[in-house]
Amino acid sequence: MTFQDLILKLQHYWASQGCLIQQPLDVEVGAGTSHPETLLRVLGSTPWNVAYIQPSRRPDDGRFGQNPNRLFKHHQLQVILKPSPDEVQQIYLDSLEAVGINPRQHDIRFEEDNWESPTLGAWGIGWQVMLDGTEITQFTYFQQVGGMDLSPISCEITYGVERIAMFLQKVDNVFEMEWGGGKKYGDVRLREEVEQSKYAFNQDTGIDPERYSSFHRHMFDENYKFGEELLKAGLILPALEQCLKCSHLFNLLDSSGSVGVTERMAYILRVRQLALAICKAYVEQGSGIGDQGSGERA
Amino acid sequence: MDRELLLEIGMEEIPASWLPGLTTQLGTVLEAKLKELRLSTEDPIETFSTPRRLTVRSAHISERQTDLEELVTGPPVSAAFGPDGALTPAGAGFVKKQNATEDQIERVKTPKGEYIGVRKHQRGKAAVDVLPEVLNNVLRGMSFPKSMRWDAMLGDGKGELPFGRPIRWILYLYGGRVVPFTIGRSPLAAGPRVQEISTGASTYGHRFLTTSGRAGRAVKVKHFDDYRKRLAEHFVMIDRNERHDRIARELDAEARRRGGRIARSLVGQGMLDEVPDLVEYPVVASGSFADEFLRLPEEVLTTTMIHHQHFFPVTNDQGKLLPVFLAVLNMEPDQPDVVSRNMERVLTARLRDAQFFYQSDRQQPLAANQKRLDTVLFHKKIGTYLQKSDRVAERAAQIAADVLKAPQAEAFAREAGQLCKADQATDMVRELTELQGTMGGIYAREDGRPEEVWKAIYFHYLPVGVEATAPPTKDQLGKAAITWASVSLADKLDTVISMFGAGERPTGSRDPYGLRRAAQGIVRILVDLPELTGLDLRLTLGDLVTEKPEDAFWSFMIDRVRFVLEQRGYDPRNVRAVTHGDAAQVSPLVAKRKLETLPEFTESGDFKQLAGLFKRVRNIAKNLDASAPDLGGKLTEPAEVALAKEVDRVAPVVAAAVASGAGYRQAFAEAAKAGPAVAKFFDDVMVMTDDAKLRDARLRLLRRLEGLILQLADVSEIVPEEK
Repeated sequence: MTFQDLILKLQHYWASQGCLIQQPLDVEVGAGTSHPETLLRVLGSTPWNVAYIQPSRRPDDGRFGQNPNRLFKHHQLQVILKPSPDEVQQIYLDSLEAVGINPRQHDIRFEEDNWESPTLGAWGIGWQVMLDGTEITQFTYFQQVGGMDLSPISCEITYGVERIAMFLQKVDNVFEMEWGGGKKYGDVRLREEVEQSKYAFNQDTGIDPERYSSFHRHMFDENYKFGEELLKAGLILPALEQCLKCSHLFNLLDSSGSVGVTERMAYILRVRQLALAICKAYVEQGSGIGDQGSGERA
Repeated sequence: MDRELLLEIGMEEIPASWLPGLTTQLGTVLEAKLKELRLSTEDPIETFSTPRRLTVRSAHISERQTDLEELVTGPPVSAAFGPDGALTPAGAGFVKKQNATEDQIERVKTPKGEYIGVRKHQRGKAAVDVLPEVLNNVLRGMSFPKSMRWDAMLGDGKGELPFGRPIRWILYLYGGRVVPFTIGRSPLAAGPRVQEISTGASTYGHRFLTTSGRAGRAVKVKHFDDYRKRLAEHFVMIDRNERHDRIARELDAEARRRGGRIARSLVGQGMLDEVPDLVEYPVVASGSFADEFLRLPEEVLTTTMIHHQHFFPVTNDQGKLLPVFLAVLNMEPDQPDVVSRNMERVLTARLRDAQFFYQSDRQQPLAANQKRLDTVLFHKKIGTYLQKSDRVAERAAQIAADVLKAPQAEAFAREAGQLCKADQATDMVRELTELQGTMGGIYAREDGRPEEVWKAIYFHYLPVGVEATAPPTKDQLGKAAITWASVSLADKLDTVISMFGAGERPTGSRDPYGLRRAAQGIVRILVDLPELTGLDLRLTLGDLVTEKPEDAFWSFMIDRVRFVLEQRGYDPRNVRAVTHGDAAQVSPLVAKRKLETLPEFTESGDFKQLAGLFKRVRNIAKNLDASAPDLGGKLTEPAEVALAKEVDRVAPVVAAAVASGAGYRQAFAEAAKAGPAVAKFFDDVMVMTDDAKLRDARLRLLRRLEGLILQLADVSEIVPEEK
């Protein structure tokens, strides 16, 4: 099964389970959790079932296209089920069957692995799903987001799409995996990995580290300030986008070695502060803004 | 007639590390809740578990609660009856409230006076009517290392039911019949896909394996034997020991088939203990990896296999690793080879990563990583790991030279201390944090540093490593014993002292920086110093500490000394007795040696006599102004002369023991003999006499006695409990 077929099959499966198929957030993020379809929708009480692909950037994991398993950018297929159905584990296992993984022929386990994101004031309880020793999915019952207790509880299922495709195609190098139509993953993405890694680590760029650092700091500050202004104006979604940009800029500053230790903590705390304020404002606005609100159920 | 009670709580996968504890807990909690509700069990309660279920069974539960007989007391008699002997409104009110009549009133004598009371007899209810409440209380009574909310509610008025993992089904049978009970769901979640969970007579087999029907479907059972048998048919072994033995047996067989054996020394007991709690139906599989990876350090290979994949490494008869691994599956796959190939692929990817980190780390010597520690924060008020390394180096050198009196080790200790954190900045440790220390040691060895240095780095986290909690043995340490002790002590002391300085004291269950563990590590090294290093030094806590820490530090440290000694099985009262006084003066090793012989005496009559009177000795001796001149009074009474003789007799024995650090048995034996003389003294002699000279002489005698005994122990801590 090709990479693209895998994505299509999973999306098709989740659509058949009553999920809306959403599109990726068009802002740089490190994980599908940052998408408002997860981060904001799990707040409040309105039921919501959604699935989407999210390209996820992790500057620190960039390996210049040389490591067969690590990527600056990988793809998550993110599912949110709110409230979490009783049969959620079985529904998930059926999705594996839908992409050709027969549980009768493999060793599939749910191993304890809880999730926490201090920057989003979020944590959850769950497992990593292991398929013959490979971690293919992160399974989390969200407990808190934005520092607030959730009710009802949402279940987040995050598939590592590259991993699963490599497993199905029995290839050891992600760049050798077939994307679709005879094209390999490397044909599609290798150049991007090399260039983005150089950028993330500011390596072989000839760009003065001072310049690199001051540009990103400046962008961080500007995005942050404007995010606060947008929040004050009650524009939650635009404010969240500014906040996520800050988070990504910080990741770049971190991977390029531009921040010292004490400063690092300060950056994290600033992002957290803004993210918490955004989540709080979203909940407080309630159902006043139609389908974007947290809409207490009548 | 007694009947069998069977409860199975079906859950989504429970973390393996919780399972043994939760299994026992379920038995204890059920037993307690049955007792609270007056249902008796004759046989011990049996418990079972798999990752998806907690099961408890009692063969005989009484059919009825025992009757309740209780005396309810009301107002005092004086308030209940008027002067005319008739009930006052207060008295009548009580009788009415209790649904009683006046002739049922009894008079109850209490220490506070006489009260009226009514005897109530409540006939026990049928067990079936009480068992729902028992289950409610069991569910509420379970505690988990971490609980989650899952939109579950109980109808007991206390609202939500957080639990370890969501409950999927409950099998609850009494005498073969279902005891009705329901877990509700929060109104925000309830719907067609989120439903109540009601007790039933069904269990569920293995998720994927079955001999008949569809895997994972409900299986009806009648009683425990049936339950066990039906689950076995559906590929669930509910007995953990059975799973453990099967795993051990199959691992050995498979390792032999592969031409080696399980590397038990590398695996340790940990993984064999964990794996049975990860599976319902264990099956052993094996695979291999390329020979080229055998060139990686053995620790890297085994860590990758064990910690990351739960694979068992295999060695040949000489203990050399073979390019083979074993794995315990929760599955009997149709084509085992497919699973093996998949596992090989994951392991190879991990090993290739490790190889990459290893090669990249080896581009430069370990010391070159040192400067990158400048960007790794130890604590924001204290500074970076680079600064910590500098402090540890100086402290380790000072400990080697001044404290352990081993000047030949001073330079090695400084070198090892300086380098001990350098591996924090290596790629390998950043990826495989379990290898901290170990990796630094390996790299130092490969850089050609001497054994005294590389082994000190290798072992410096011990005896409190990430997982390993045993100190290295003297054999393992070889020439590095003293440098290891210097660096290990220096690192931990630096952590505790600097964190205290930054105001980071552990409180209650909060100890984010692991200061208690660090302090226990210090104490354990001091206690075992001769065995670990061959040095017979009775070091006190004060010997180690060059600065002047605040009182809180000392009381924290003495608590840790006591904790470690109690952990080793010594009686807490004895432990307090031998760790009395100024914490800085306490030597954990001396304390341990005293504790080894102290229990031989604490039960003897003479010793108890001494212990019982010792508080009095101390209290009276306080009346002596230690700075005042000796008035030169003469002891005359026979009892006081006799006691003075006893003190003279015991003094040299105690002095010899204290000086040599041995012979505490004899010292305690001689001291105990003084018990009767002390008793006689207090019977016959009035210490605080008006004769100032005589009083002074008597107080001096008691003060001498006190000082003598305190060199051994504050025996007043050991007064028998029956008082």
